[in-house]
Amino acid sequence: MTIPFISTNSSLPAVSATVIGAVLIVGLGVTMGSYWTVVALNLFMWIALTQSWSLFSGMTGYISLGHVVAYGIGAYLVAVTFKMIPLWLSIPLGGLAAGLFALIVAIPVLRVRGPYFVILTFGLAELVKYILLYTETTFGKSSRLLFGAPKTEVLLYWVAALAVIATLITYFVGRSRFGKGLAAVREDETAAETIGVPVTRLKVLAFAASAVIPGMIGGLMAMRSTYFDVLQVFNPTISFSIVTMAIIGGAGDARGPILGALFMLGLAELLWSTAPQLYFILLGLFLIGFVLFAPNGLIGLIKRRKQPKGSVS
Amino acid sequence: MLKKIAQGLALAAALSLPTAAQAAETLKIGYSIAKTGLFSQAAPSQVNAYDLWAEQVNAAGGLDVAGVKHPIELVWYDDESDPVKSAQIYERLISDDKVDLLLAPWGTPHHLNIAGVMEQHGFPLVGNTAGSVAIREVEPGNIWFPTAVLPDRIGPALVDMLAANGVKSVSIIANVLPFSQENLQFLVPALEAANIEIKMNESYPPDIKDMTPLLTQMKSANADAVIALTYPSDAFLYTGQAKELGITTPYQFLLIGPTIAAYKDAFGPVADGIITLGHWSPKQTDWPRAQPFFDAYVAKYNSAPDYLDSALAYMSCEILQQAVAKAGLDHDKLREVISNDTFDTINGPVKFKGVENIITPSAFLQLQKGDMELVWPKSIATADLIKR
Repeated sequence: MTIPFISTNSSLPAVSATVIGAVLIVGLGVTMGSYWTVVALNLFMWIALTQSWSLFSGMTGYISLGHVVAYGIGAYLVAVTFKMIPLWLSIPLGGLAAGLFALIVAIPVLRVRGPYFVILTFGLAELVKYILLYTETTFGKSSRLLFGAPKTEVLLYWVAALAVIATLITYFVGRSRFGKGLAAVREDETAAETIGVPVTRLKVLAFAASAVIPGMIGGLMAMRSTYFDVLQVFNPTISFSIVTMAIIGGAGDARGPILGALFMLGLAELLWSTAPQLYFILLGLFLIGFVLFAPNGLIGLIKRRKQPKGSVS
Repeated sequence: MLKKIAQGLALAAALSLPTAAQAAETLKIGYSIAKTGLFSQAAPSQVNAYDLWAEQVNAAGGLDVAGVKHPIELVWYDDESDPVKSAQIYERLISDDKVDLLLAPWGTPHHLNIAGVMEQHGFPLVGNTAGSVAIREVEPGNIWFPTAVLPDRIGPALVDMLAANGVKSVSIIANVLPFSQENLQFLVPALEAANIEIKMNESYPPDIKDMTPLLTQMKSANADAVIALTYPSDAFLYTGQAKELGITTPYQFLLIGPTIAAYKDAFGPVADGIITLGHWSPKQTDWPRAQPFFDAYVAKYNSAPDYLDSALAYMSCEILQQAVAKAGLDHDKLREVISNDTFDTINGPVKFKGVENIITPSAFLQLQKGDMELVWPKSIATADLIKR
């Protein structure tokens, strides 16, 4: 399976707008009451996760279906060290652990491409989930309670900050030499290697970097639930949702994941309480529609509209 | 013609004049439920009990709120069996829907996940289908658990029952989900202390589709009793495949599942003799509210209630109803009444110490000729335990 990607040509005002938009959404969420604070929190969580996914998969064309592994590792580290070490330390450590894990597995995992890579990443996430699950049950710790976590508003500030950072990273990497190298991998890996692009190094670095923020997000979101178990934080639905948002929003452009997350969360908020089945039906239809008719996602559609008639893309 | 106009005016007047019931504001009572997803098989047991209770309350003129009766309306959302979503739903019910009261979701993870929301909003909620020693870590005051199915009480009680019936060896299979594993954690030491040999002890994933290898191993172990620490879906799988493989162990215990009416309907006489977790029976005459609940449930749904989940769900409604009648809707007063009073339920009296029900004992049920009988402990038993 391949998803066509758009070359990055976002402008700096768009990034400023992202930062201002984030501040506005945080303000709105907090002032509209606790439920909307949670909605805003979820929005930023998905933006951060999808941006991080886009940093590797969007730029290299390697479609990861196991990004939840980074989220889960971060959440697990924060949960097991809860009240043993301060959160300002455990959350970055969660991100580092996820990044380190990605770095270790990168070499063998990145040897395969296409559908094999998709299946391998999915399987890897499941493998880690069950290893941790059996470890937990062996030590009689099938679940944990996390009372005394920071308030939702505090978590929102942190998650929103990480979403902004993830967006800026995707934006600037897309414009950097590093990003151009990743794009070369996506277009033709063999040709890139032949002309001297350090393909392996770039892929490994991007793979590890794309796991750090999801690890931190996992740690923060673990604090959102008072109950922790491994199945909850390694739920493969998280990976599927990330890929869906990237397809709908458009990968390879920092604005795509924002649009994807906004679209899916907006649709969910409109329908989940009144017609949850309709939500899933529409989601399926949109997914098919975007893959077939708008493979570059919402951001691709916007760009197409902005393009002067008769110009060559 | 004039007569018709007069009748019309009288009808209009009657409709416009508020009756006592119309004048009282309708109270919204909210909950989340696993309508879809992994735990969806368990949801109807709980929802049916809630609906029956609401219907009975409205039929009796409404919910007595410190002397004033109010009609009630249930507001619910599907949590898709996701505990995180459940917490989000309770957040919405409290802050957006502004419900007056809350009922509980299904399952331990959901209860413990919403405990933080209850604590944050200071909203009192009587739980029901949660069973974990972790409930004792929850700060008392916002959530209470009427259940008697706490793993550190179940394990020793199950071993007492098996030992009293001459069991010398067991085979154990356990779902990896938290409730099963927690039970396993307390069961194994209790079996070892009673010198009951564990011939097999294997865990399996929650979405298991084929138990044949496990059950083949279990058959060759040939223990005196089988202890399958199941959730509802795997209880169905176990029973079907155990029959196919000809497992005839005289004592077969399944943790969760057999109390659901659909289980008995699906397996009929094949399930006879299956032992399971449950501390309620309509046959226990010491609990006068039990049989009327059973009869009303059967009349409404044309099937028996789940002896565990429906009973617990209905108990939680009874506790809330009695507390609201005394305290009204004020959260502080409700908290005080639920914490200190003794409540009369279909399962006998219930009183909380901290978050835990300290009266109802951990107990076991057995399907005997199509009926669920309480078989342990002797103090509340409605029949003796029999071999399959």
